[in-house]
Amino acid sequence: MTLFLASLGFGLVTASVLAIAAVGFTMQFAVTGVLNLAYGAVMIGSAFVAYSLNQAGVSVWIALLAAAAVGAIGSVALNRGIYTPFQKRGSAPITLVIVSLGMTLIIEFGVQAIVGGTNVSYTMSTGPTLSAGGLQLTAVQLAIIGLSIVLMAAVHVLLTFSKLGKAMRATAANPWLARASGIRTGRVVTVTWALTGALCGIAGTVLGINDGSFGATSADLFLVLILAAVFLGGPGQAYGAMVGAAVIGLATEISAAYITPSYKDVVAFVILLAMLAVRPQGILGVAT
Amino acid sequence: MTAAQLFYIINILIYAGVDIIACLGLSQQFGVAGVTNFGYIIFQAAGAYAAAILSMPRDGAFGGFQSYIGGLNLPFPLPWIGGALAGAVVALPFTFLVGRRLRGDFAAVGLLVTAVMFNLLVTDYRPLFNGSAGLSLVPAPLQSTFNPQGQGYQWAYAAGAVVLAAGAFWLLRRLTESPYGRSLRAMRENDIVADSLGKNLTSLRMGVLMLGGAFAGLSGAVLVGFINLWAPSAWGYAETIVLFGAVIIGGAGSHRGAVLGAILVPVGFEEATRFIPQFGPPGLVDDLQWVAIGLLVVIFLWLRPQGVLPERRRLAGAAFASGNPESQAQFDRNERAVTSPGPASASPSELAPSIASAATIDDTVNSSPTPIVPVPRGTEFVTPVTSDVVLRADGVRREFGGVTAVAGVTLEVHRGTLTGLIGPNGAGKSTLLAMLAGTLPPSAGVIIYHGRDVTAMPAYQRARLGLVRTFQLASEFKRLTVLENLLAAVPGNRGDSMRGALRGPRYWRQDEAAAVARARALLDRFGLAVHENTYAGDLSGGQRRLVEIMRALMTEPAMLLLDEPMAGVHPALARRIGELLTGLCAEGLTILMVEHELAIMDEFCDPVIVMAEGTVLAEGTMRALRGRPEVVEAYLVG
Repeated sequence: MTLFLASLGFGLVTASVLAIAAVGFTMQFAVTGVLNLAYGAVMIGSAFVAYSLNQAGVSVWIALLAAAAVGAIGSVALNRGIYTPFQKRGSAPITLVIVSLGMTLIIEFGVQAIVGGTNVSYTMSTGPTLSAGGLQLTAVQLAIIGLSIVLMAAVHVLLTFSKLGKAMRATAANPWLARASGIRTGRVVTVTWALTGALCGIAGTVLGINDGSFGATSADLFLVLILAAVFLGGPGQAYGAMVGAAVIGLATEISAAYITPSYKDVVAFVILLAMLAVRPQGILGVAT
Repeated sequence: MTAAQLFYIINILIYAGVDIIACLGLSQQFGVAGVTNFGYIIFQAAGAYAAAILSMPRDGAFGGFQSYIGGLNLPFPLPWIGGALAGAVVALPFTFLVGRRLRGDFAAVGLLVTAVMFNLLVTDYRPLFNGSAGLSLVPAPLQSTFNPQGQGYQWAYAAGAVVLAAGAFWLLRRLTESPYGRSLRAMRENDIVADSLGKNLTSLRMGVLMLGGAFAGLSGAVLVGFINLWAPSAWGYAETIVLFGAVIIGGAGSHRGAVLGAILVPVGFEEATRFIPQFGPPGLVDDLQWVAIGLLVVIFLWLRPQGVLPERRRLAGAAFASGNPESQAQFDRNERAVTSPGPASASPSELAPSIASAATIDDTVNSSPTPIVPVPRGTEFVTPVTSDVVLRADGVRREFGGVTAVAGVTLEVHRGTLTGLIGPNGAGKSTLLAMLAGTLPPSAGVIIYHGRDVTAMPAYQRARLGLVRTFQLASEFKRLTVLENLLAAVPGNRGDSMRGALRGPRYWRQDEAAAVARARALLDRFGLAVHENTYAGDLSGGQRRLVEIMRALMTEPAMLLLDEPMAGVHPALARRIGELLTGLCAEGLTILMVEHELAIMDEFCDPVIVMAEGTVLAEGTMRALRGRPEVVEAYLVG
């Protein structure tokens, strides 16, 4: 029971990090139809900015904001500068995926060329610990969970109550119809990439903090978790990604406690392949 | 030359051979068949590991400093054969990802993730292939007989690699320049349409997946025999992107392009950067090299997506050039026709001989005039009692989420009729057609074709029984010529399978000649003979509809399901299509046609079925329907 509660704690934290990342990824796919595989590379790039600021003595909250800004600017630039021109030319979705892989190499190894190939250690002073039974959470972990809940609530409010959120959902459902109905889809897409890019930057930073250390290629494996969460919930479904993140986060950490930690990602991988094979529209998606 | 220089040249030759084999396999998958395999490097790794453990002694032999499974100590060339087989066998299960109706980019992501995961597993699980340290001291082929360090041996190894690469090139050419290769390219252009024309997508994709896997596996085996070690760091997922870069830069779908790409990217690029002096912190040059690979891929996809050596256009008659002077003349003419920019420049004098020569070929190949629609197949299912009902739908329903698109349709289509299907937008006409053709499974109901229940039968099997559809949206195979579009639909060509294609042109040339003759007769009848070597994607909208109808006719259908064949077609041409269709019906073909143009219905269709809100509202001649108030209210006025 203690083991279970302990792994549950880890699972909650992983799920929180994953939710921030997966919601951003899936919303990018929803409004532009791009499976942006360079997402993980942008996460890490932003995390390095936060890390450097933090090391220079800036507070972690300011550093997080900076990471969000870098992620937002980087993502908008990526979409406006690379993906949109390809889409306007009528490139196939598969071409865009190949382009996004090319961008992954450029960003990931570009970052590595600057920061070097070794991982940096990114540990916070752990602070007081919440402990209930076997469930133990440090202050940092609690902060990550809290941050994730706040961000998910913000996404919910945005999608449900704001005009922008409605415009985003309309654009996702049918860009041509949305445009014909007077929605400036170009602007909606750019704002979406800015917001999801901010989520991406924050996700990268909390991933680095949570893992305690990270390097330029750290997001390669985490991208597997993101994709598993996104496809479990249904690609393009923001709420689906939240559910998917919760399931994948808990499943990987709990299985790590009972099987062996080195294979915890395999659980996510198996879930992803099963979803692709059986129900590619996800648990919340509608069959077409 | 110094020994070091010679060794360097040998090295390059072997790497070139290995990369050419790998790039050829990937080009066949990605460029020819349209299967984007982001996990390609897995299959090279499988081949290398298989060759290693087949040729190595048991793992105890090294005093236990490395542990691995197998260790069979097999003599050359068994490890290489085993490597190729391992690549193919490991590829087989991935059919479940690429063989299904799954978005190509989703399947590609699944494969990419698989590559990342397999690498992780092999790294972490030491007993399998010695974990992250990898296998070392892998024996070189025949090392007990010859000295692997000797220059003669190394030249022989290089020659072997180059010969294997040449053999791979020859094999893929033979496969691709055949009716089977055409089916692969048709699948690449539009898989749903290829399915509706009777192509078994699952089997085509499985074939190309396993063949590419075998090529990748062989390349791994040749490589590991030379470098004598193999570790997870050699096959990170990013290595697949290097190979993709090579294929894209060389020219996807062109085998010469794959060879060029292999020489330019994995060999040329990595060799060139070897001479850059190391600067900055360690690893910086490597990092920049990866950045450059990414840039190459993105920039090439933007500036020259077709690559340096683009896939070439397959000209008709090329397969018949030998021993037939007439078709050689035709071939030359066609080459001229291709260079002429458009229909305007095709003068009558050019048009006439092309028709004449088509007739001549027709005569030489097939002494009797080729019937456009042969005896309908599937007649063996007709029982005398069911008389002339070709297709019957009984209570067919289809829901999308909560929306009922088709709410229980029962109808019969009789032999030799041109039955019209009209109804307002959203009446469920296209959905019904898709269910009749097998493109979409019905939620409920039964579909009987020639007295046989085909409700659960996939589209390609229905097509093979002679029940063939066309699509509402333009669905020509864009980067196949008009003639190829037609030929791709011909069933039963002996060269339309991997085995048949491997047996070479002599095995299938006769079938192909007959198909070409039939296609040319159709092109004449529809007035498109001058365009036989034009890419279908370059035609006008009306011409594309014609291509689509002709292509459906080439399947030798007993029954056609046409979805708005005249939409967007000039009225004069639409009338011509209508006349051709009635003519075909008089010859015994049965047609069910969705159409909005009532004038067409008035003139050509009898009977006409009216659908509204997912159900059949009425059936009869247009004249009778115009007299029925509920029909007028539902459709004719509103």
